[in-house]
Amino acid sequence: MPIIEVEDLTKTYRVFQKRDGLMGALRGLYRREYKEVKAVDRIGFSIEPGEMVAFLGPNGAGKTTTLKMLSGLVYPTSGDARVLGYTPWRREDAFRRQFALVMGQKNQLWWDLPAGDSFQLHREIYSIPKEEFDRTLGELVELLGVQKLTRQAVRELSLGERMKMELIAALLHGPKLLLLDEPTIGLDVVAQAAIQKCLRDYHESRGVTMLLTSHYMRDVEALCDRVIVITQGRLVYDGPLAGIIERFGESKLVRLQFEEPAPEGLERFGEVVRREGPFADVRIERARVAETLGALLNQHALADVSVEDPPLEEVIAKVFEEARLAHDAA
Amino acid sequence: MVPGVTRYARLMGGLARFTLAREMAFRGNFLVKVSVELLWMGILIAFYRTVFAKTSHIANWSEPDYFFFVGCFFALNGLIETLFLENCNEFAELVRTGDLDFLLLKPIDEQFLISCRRIDWGTAPNLVMGAILMIIALVQKGWVFDPTRVAAFFATFACGVAIAYSFMMMLTSVSVWMVRNTSLMEMWWLFSSLARYPREIFSGRWAEPLGNVFTFIIPILLVSNVPANVMVRVLDPGMVAWTVTVALASLWVSRRFFHVALRSYRSASS
Repeated sequence: MPIIEVEDLTKTYRVFQKRDGLMGALRGLYRREYKEVKAVDRIGFSIEPGEMVAFLGPNGAGKTTTLKMLSGLVYPTSGDARVLGYTPWRREDAFRRQFALVMGQKNQLWWDLPAGDSFQLHREIYSIPKEEFDRTLGELVELLGVQKLTRQAVRELSLGERMKMELIAALLHGPKLLLLDEPTIGLDVVAQAAIQKCLRDYHESRGVTMLLTSHYMRDVEALCDRVIVITQGRLVYDGPLAGIIERFGESKLVRLQFEEPAPEGLERFGEVVRREGPFADVRIERARVAETLGALLNQHALADVSVEDPPLEEVIAKVFEEARLAHDAA
Repeated sequence: MVPGVTRYARLMGGLARFTLAREMAFRGNFLVKVSVELLWMGILIAFYRTVFAKTSHIANWSEPDYFFFVGCFFALNGLIETLFLENCNEFAELVRTGDLDFLLLKPIDEQFLISCRRIDWGTAPNLVMGAILMIIALVQKGWVFDPTRVAAFFATFACGVAIAYSFMMMLTSVSVWMVRNTSLMEMWWLFSSLARYPREIFSGRWAEPLGNVFTFIIPILLVSNVPANVMVRVLDPGMVAWTVTVALASLWVSRRFFHVALRSYRSASS
């Protein structure tokens, strides 16, 4: 049985349109103009227990609004969703005990107190038995390497350290579902890697289901096998990560190392992305890779060759762009 | 029922401990706040002492009765400010920034968490000072212990707190639509200004209907008038019953209103 089932979920916001200038502001006192903005438009998908799914889209695509509907924070305009067998916006306690939402840009810990105090309060709110609480906290603190920081006021922690504490707070009650909204935003690569490792290890040991939004493709590649792409509130792709590259990555990057300086005239094989000394990177149409490699090997002495998929960022950007053009055309 | 009450009582204890620890981290601010509250009460007592030096009664209230009334208002207002005012005042900011999200995600009653999550220890001395003032007034009056009056006092005092809390919750809930709700403090000031005087000041052709409005339609005057009256003046069962009814109804209405407001919560963009 799916852990998340979404059907025709739609959220429309009524947004106030402020007029320019002082007169406009005064006119707004008695006559207001509103615009209907469809943040999420009839999306549907389902997620099975234990899956790690990336939920991708450009800014304003409707990712966070969807996560907020799935966690029961906002009511949908229409459509339906079942999360862990519950209707999320009813916000039943039994539902809220079983999931956690981590938002990279927001802070749920008490700012002026040590994170350890917030964890204790969390224990009271979620009624976590003391033994279980101590064991889980010990595991998470060790996993994230923050043993010495739990007694330090949250406001004195670095962004990376704070994010680790946020993650611990989210995992303390052993959620079955973890909704992550840009959990590594603004973090350096070391902190990003630590968060990714923690999430991966936690997933392996507990089998928790995760739905992750992120603009960092490293997060997606490190954690998720499946990708859901949403643009302008509409779902445009739902499938395996490899599939998105297959479908939208029309070219491959062929990295060549010649035994002599890279020759002129490589343009006839494809788009030359780089040429430095004996090295050259050429972007070649996916269907012509085998044929082109054969020709290159026949004509030049090569020391090394590798064929790579285009970077995920590039593929995703292409998906977003195609969806935008299709939306504008419609 | 009992495990639920125990859990919420434990949570309240935890919140009280953590907010005290937080206040102690900024002890300068805490001490200034306590001093201002004590000074304010001292000024009020000095003012009423001066008035009573010239007259024996204000609106049919003798000096000890009036001081009991003042103590009752201070204790009640102190309790409201200690438990709820700061939380309700911060609510609009939580809505505006979207930080309300995390409070709504917790498996606990939202109204409890929003209105009780921080205890303002800086205003707690008002509760103690109010209680001391009430005891001194009773001694001065030569009050004879009467268990019926004591029970009626505690019941109507609790009702007064419930009415004031409900009024505050309704003002707070409006923030979900208004987002910026700076008028909350002004409205609360108006509420507490009305509640701090005896109902008898509304006498005369124009003032009496106003007194009735604030007793029966917008029942602010019940908050501290009824508990003070039942203890040191007239124990009117009809008025006690009316106060209990109003308290229960206002708790129910404010809770419904709060939940309707939450349905419109948009959660600020992250």
